[in-house]
Amino acid sequence: MIILCKNCNYIFETEVKFCSQCGQAVVKNVSSTKLKKVATIIGFYVAMLVYMLLVYYVETTFPNNLEAEIIVVIGFACIVLGFASFDLKPVLQLYNNKAIKFKHIVFAVITPVVTSFVVYFFIGFINSLVAEGASVNYFQEYLYLDYPLFWATFFIALMPAVIEELAFRGVLFNALKEVTTTRLTIIATAFLFAVIHFSIFSFLWIFPFGLLLGFLRSRYNTLWLGMIIHFIHNFIILMIDYYNFYNY
Amino acid sequence: MEVSQSIILQSECKHCETPVKEDHSFCSECGFPLKGSDQDVAKFYAKRVMDKRKTNNAHEKIKAARKTLFIIAAIITVFGFFIYYKTQDLVPLTINLVVSVVYVVLGVWSKQRPLIALILGLLLYLTLIIITAIADPLTLVAGILWKILIIGYLAKGIYSASSINKVA
Ligand SMILES: [Zn+2]
Ligand SMILES: [Zn+2]
Repeated sequence: MIILCKNCNYIFETEVKFCSQCGQAVVKNVSSTKLKKVATIIGFYVAMLVYMLLVYYVETTFPNNLEAEIIVVIGFACIVLGFASFDLKPVLQLYNNKAIKFKHIVFAVITPVVTSFVVYFFIGFINSLVAEGASVNYFQEYLYLDYPLFWATFFIALMPAVIEELAFRGVLFNALKEVTTTRLTIIATAFLFAVIHFSIFSFLWIFPFGLLLGFLRSRYNTLWLGMIIHFIHNFIILMIDYYNFYNY
Repeated sequence: MEVSQSIILQSECKHCETPVKEDHSFCSECGFPLKGSDQDVAKFYAKRVMDKRKTNNAHEKIKAARKTLFIIAAIITVFGFFIYYKTQDLVPLTINLVVSVVYVVLGVWSKQRPLIALILGLLLYLTLIIITAIADPLTLVAGILWKILIIGYLAKGIYSASSINKVA
């Protein structure tokens, strides 16, 4: 390990608390980068939060409007890419597939089959308990368009899998890892991932789902497994809605 | 005799007694000016007092932010019962109780992990404000002074917790 005094540029080969040449505290620099990372974490989350509020007003003002929906998705992608560009290299490294073997792909395909059905029946159970929790049919939302299944897949399964994984397992994960331990980073990203979905009931399943995605991200240093699981999970939920729509 | 004594004095820091190399002007352990004048030594001790005060101040701010987490838990519980007496609806009461349990957990956890617990506490609080604003935009301005105060205390705690050199 080589440590550089930021005040006089003197180089140390072992860890020192104070520079032996100019007397400046050397460790102090740790906390200033820490402060920057904390500011990034809070800034990024707040940007997403405010954007969610904006999206809500856009969707109520322009219901059933494809242009509005596309602009909303592009806007979200821009926020995530903007924050990713602050520290791009470690983010780009997450798009490698070096550590992924065939068995991981099999795992990434089977897991969401299990999680999506658990979540589907869990939501059904919650709705039977709480009368007002009438859930939306994701497929039905896109019936106003020419190819509802295509657009529903695009907006419900594909875009969240790509953008949310980059946002939470990419940008937020990288920033948190700089200020705390890996274990706490997994917990914190899962917590925020669940909280921003704005529902106390879905928190109960999104939180463990986020823990799994965060664990895979830290274990294999790739976003691909998370994206596959996230996509298939959302896609199966959508297909159940599709099936229910034409059968009930 | 005198020469050898000065070598002994040179090889050990006067303040923290860490062995030091001859070419060092400052102790690499505590920053003591090994070759400095009396004035430099006085400055060194003055700075240490200042630093200590700063760290104490940081710990005070973290403590205040920790208390804020428990205060949020209490406020949310009270509001839950208030809504329940008005509407006799168990759902909002349950939601409020769950959220205040989360705040109690964060508050307890912030003893060991102040930085991460306070960040999560602040971001959850901001999310709750936005969710209630979606349901009823007027709530955004209701009790705005309280909200600013709570956010301020949490933010100060986060700033202090990231300034002190400790694993979060
Ligand atoms: Zn130096
Ligand atoms: Zn010393």
